[in-house]
Amino acid sequence: MLFKKLFQVLVVGGAVMGATSGCSTPAGSRQTTLSKGEGGGEGVASDAGTARTAQGSDGGVAPDAGGGGVMGW
Amino acid sequence: MREELRRKAGEAWAFRTRVEREAARRFARLAAAIAAFDAESPVPALMRQAAEDEHRHAALCADLSAVYGQPVGAAAENAAIAPGSLGARAAVLYEVVASCCITETESVATLTTLLAEPVEPRVERVLREIARDEVVHGRIGWAHLAREASISDVSFLSPWIPAMLAGTVGEGLFASAGADLESRELLRHGVLPHSLKRSIFIGTLEGVVFPGLEKFGISPLPARQWLSNSAARSQLG
Repeated sequence: MLFKKLFQVLVVGGAVMGATSGCSTPAGSRQTTLSKGEGGGEGVASDAGTARTAQGSDGGVAPDAGGGGVMGW
Repeated sequence: MREELRRKAGEAWAFRTRVEREAARRFARLAAAIAAFDAESPVPALMRQAAEDEHRHAALCADLSAVYGQPVGAAAENAAIAPGSLGARAAVLYEVVASCCITETESVATLTTLLAEPVEPRVERVLREIARDEVVHGRIGWAHLAREASISDVSFLSPWIPAMLAGTVGEGLFASAGADLESRELLRHGVLPHSLKRSIFIGTLEGVVFPGLEKFGISPLPARQWLSNSAARSQLG
């Protein structure tokens, strides 16, 4: 019950919130996808993070190394 | 209150102080990044407000940390966490999903669970104030993901979700813990006993995060595999 409610409040509520001001724009006409390897001309992507990298993670097949996550409560 | 329990509670609130300080800096940085490519988005303004919220939360958590006799220590540096192979906009999306769709969503579930229990009045006031804001912070992430998914294929994030999850919790979450960390008495001080924390983490993934990602075209299968492997490893260990 808790999780169903949270899904409605956060996911559905968030999607509504995101739609309140126009549609997202693809950064001028240059960018039409956010897929891996994108980013030419729009700045340098961040390097591997130090917050918590995924060393030792298992099960997920990460396409390359360096992604991390954010610790919370 | 036993000294060991007091120490555990204090450490939890000190850790949360550092988490909130780091979140404040992350929100401020992401707000500027998103405003640069999505001028119509409501997300940057919400993130700037969230950064202010997190500073306030950090002060509240630090007060409780002091009450329980623990020093806060230094927060981690404000480092971006996205893989270097992603372009700038995709890297922002990665970080928003990791920090809001996963971590803030998990925080809301934790706070909601804690507030359903009898809690010390001083702790309850802090939990209620933080919970009110964290709901918005979680929504911000889903709002940004929804906007990006409306213009582009965001399925590339799917194989990265395990890395986000591995960085969100330590391996220790899936291992058994000592009696002190399992004490139900921790709840009164705003801290989840270890096995309940694990249960809430997994339940939130299965009931909120994974369906949410799927809604926007991000397959949760690699993440489910990570979860299954993490649980299996802890049973073997």
